[in-house]
Amino acid sequence: MSSTVDDAPAGVEEEEEDYAPPPVSRMAIAVLALIGVFDAAYLSMYKLGIIGGLTCQVGSCEQVQNSPQSALFGIPVSVLGLGAYVALVALALVGVQPRFVRDRRIARAITAIAAVGVLFSAYLTYVEARVIYMWCQYCVISAILITLIFLLSLPALRRGRAAAS
Amino acid sequence: MPRPAPAPKRRSSLTPLYVILGLVVLAGIGTLISKSRSPSPAKEGANQGMPVALTPDQLQRVHGISIGREDAPITIYEFADFQCPHCAQFAAFIEPLIRQNLVDTGKARYVFYEFPLGFKWSFLAARAGRCANDQGKFWDFHAIAFARQRQWSFDPDATAQFTEYAKTIPGLDAAKFDQCVRSDRFQKEVSESSQLGQSLGVQGTPTLFVNGRKIDPLPESYSAFEARVRQIAPDAFAGGPAAPAAAPAAPGDSAGLVTGQSGKQ
Repeated sequence: MSSTVDDAPAGVEEEEEDYAPPPVSRMAIAVLALIGVFDAAYLSMYKLGIIGGLTCQVGSCEQVQNSPQSALFGIPVSVLGLGAYVALVALALVGVQPRFVRDRRIARAITAIAAVGVLFSAYLTYVEARVIYMWCQYCVISAILITLIFLLSLPALRRGRAAAS
Repeated sequence: MPRPAPAPKRRSSLTPLYVILGLVVLAGIGTLISKSRSPSPAKEGANQGMPVALTPDQLQRVHGISIGREDAPITIYEFADFQCPHCAQFAAFIEPLIRQNLVDTGKARYVFYEFPLGFKWSFLAARAGRCANDQGKFWDFHAIAFARQRQWSFDPDATAQFTEYAKTIPGLDAAKFDQCVRSDRFQKEVSESSQLGQSLGVQGTPTLFVNGRKIDPLPESYSAFEARVRQIAPDAFAGGPAAPAAAPAAPGDSAGLVTGQSGKQ
């Protein structure tokens, strides 16, 4: 996600808005994204052959993970998801630091990653429901997590915009 | 003018977050470790399959529909539902390779048991399979029913659809087949097959047993399946070269349409 370079105005803003209390929504993003890290890590461990099987109470996780749609350009989607969640955790942790609470670049980056994640999850959910007719509980959990993260990222974006105007 | 360093009070507002994140990390690592220790088929010898009470008596009481040598050293039982998507996947991707590498080579006998799960046409399709079997054409029907599953599953009149399929099977009297499907014939056999599955602990489909051992979880590829079979019945493979695991043929509807000899029991 390309973060735009906010030159002087952002710096001024930071000076003015510095040390704002960390918003609860961003703290929630950090927690949800960390759960997402472990969710995606489990699927990635299976996909990369580190573990031999998936324990799945609901659905057919292994069959979904072995479907042709489980990789994008040769990269397992679970690994892509892991990368996205790690990035979101890092951004959210930086974003809760008083100095960066009002940093618009962080808010934009979180929203952008989450938006791509939501769209991709929507596609994967469609594939589960209509193409392979199988569900993977960890994929559904991830879809819910990324949707919540996206929704939680919106207030900060608005705050940043309001602060900028 | 730089501001003074943030007060310790502000820093402490993040402490609950760090505590929660720490707990999530601990829970996550614990879960990953426990899950990675659970048995999996890919780990050699990790899971030999649970032996079940699959006695000859039970199998005599309820006849499945078999293909392959009667005296083959390996017997594979499949409990399946024609309307179950997993079964269709299994029928398209793995079963043709089982037939090719194990059944056609005389190593295994493959026995199909109906286990209708309760989809709209599950039971009807199971009975239709028996009707085809009545004319010695079960495996042809099996291939078409799975390959065209998505077509008939949503059809308001699956019986008519099955009859259309029957017309495409050489040697099958479609009118007789239609009459059979529209009657209540083979209701008892399908029910007994389903009850046998329940008594053996079948909960979902497809469920396979190899020489009385439940293959759980079901491997995702033919090579993994053959590895399990080799663990359970190594003698059946003794003497011959270790057959390389066949690369799955290009899957698709056509794979499911490959039919072998028709057999009935």
